[in-house]
Parts: sequence; structure tokens; C-alpha cells
Amino acid sequence: MAPVPRTDVLLAVFGGPHRTDLVSTTFRLAHALLDRGATLQVWTCGDATGLTRRSLGDSKPRNVVDWTRDHPSTAAVARGLIADHPGRLHWYVCRFCSDERGMGDQIPEVRRRPPFTFHEHTQAAGKALTLGVC
Amino acid sequence: MTELLLVQSDDPAHSPGGERFVEDALHLAAAGHHTSLFLVDNAVFAALPGALPRVDEFLGAGGHVLVDAFSAQQRSLTPDDLLARARTVEMDDLAARLLDPQTKVVWH
Repeated sequence: MAPVPRTDVLLAVFGGPHRTDLVSTTFRLAHALLDRGATLQVWTCGDATGLTRRSLGDSKPRNVVDWTRDHPSTAAVARGLIADHPGRLHWYVCRFCSDERGMGDQIPEVRRRPPFTFHEHTQAAGKALTLGVC
Repeated sequence: MTELLLVQSDDPAHSPGGERFVEDALHLAAAGHHTSLFLVDNAVFAALPGALPRVDEFLGAGGHVLVDAFSAQQRSLTPDDLLARARTVEMDDLAARLLDPQTKVVWH
């Protein structure tokens, strides 16, 4: 198994992603960090593992009040971020949580990891933040 | 000087843990630490005047209150609606602080 790359920051996304602004805040913070040249890991657990499941496709369902606009899915946003920052953004998905929720089929840009490896990711990060648990 | 950065994401007025988190910030500031409280998502409501007395106490103790501009705009809050000593900042401000080796950060 490939070693965990050293990064400036780890964002551990543990909360229910659509209960609050967690998704947009995570993406905004990731954007801001990457814009500053940082290296970053994102680790999703629980329901947040669904953010990058393959079945989401590239777009959200059409918005009835904005019929012609394409709204990218969270999977597409994550894929774009990873592609735009090669070698600087690493996205990991908890294997147990995604399997438990039937969301093991993930986009190829992310890596699924067993939960007991989480400590390796915290050790590989300069700073680690846990988002979504209050 | 080390900055202690506490990021609050839930409205502390409606979550006991959130209010205790602000209390932690207050204690740190009162103890003389350079302490900042970054309010994001629903926590921006804590920067409304009178919303949470602990925030006023925190400012009185020398703490700094930072309000995420996007979260405030999403809730139709303008800087004029917020505590005069609260500073509205972009997410880039948080990123810069996070990447500063002198900053220790906790997210709640």
C-alpha cells in the first residue's frame, strides 16, 4: 500500500454532509488552501463518503427554476479540484463507512482506505481539522 | 506570537457545546493568549449584537472575532448588522492562518 503523502493540512469530514453548510464550507476551505499553494488531504467518513460516489454522475438533477444551468455534483467538484491540483490534493474515503452505506463504488480519483489507517493520515499532516462534529 | 484559532460552525446560541466552545475561547483570551474566534456557517449569528453575551465578554477580554463573509451573505447579514468589533473576512483569511506555523487551530 502506498505511503500517505505528507501534507500541510488534513480535513477530516465526519459530519452528515447535507444537514448543514458542511459541503460548501469544506470545498471553499479546500479551494482557499490550494490557492495558497498548500498540500491537502481530505478524509471522508460516515455519510460524507457519499460525496464522491460514482452514481452521482457529473451533474445534479435539473433545477426546475433554473432549467438550463448545469450544477455539478459533489463528485464532479471533487474530481475537478483533484485534477486542477495534481499531487497537492489527496482525497480518501473510509472503506468501512462507504461499504456500510452501499457507497463503495467511488470515482477513480479518490482512494478508499480502511478506518484503522486514519492515524497515519493525521500523522502525515501538519495540521488536522475535524469538520462536522459539534 | 502563537495564535489560538477557534473555528465555530454551529450557532452557539442553540448548541450547548457551541456556547462552551466560546467560553473556552473566552478563558484563553482572558489568560492572555492571542485568541481568535472564526465564525462560519450558522455560527455567524453569534456575531449579531446581543445574540450571545459570551462573545461580547470574549471581545472585552482582548479576543478577536472573525466572521466568514460568505456565510454572512448567505444569511442576508451585512457587516453593519454585526458587532462593531467583529471583522468580516474571506475564507482565504482562514486558509492563511491555518498555514501559519504560529497558529494552533481547533474546529468545532
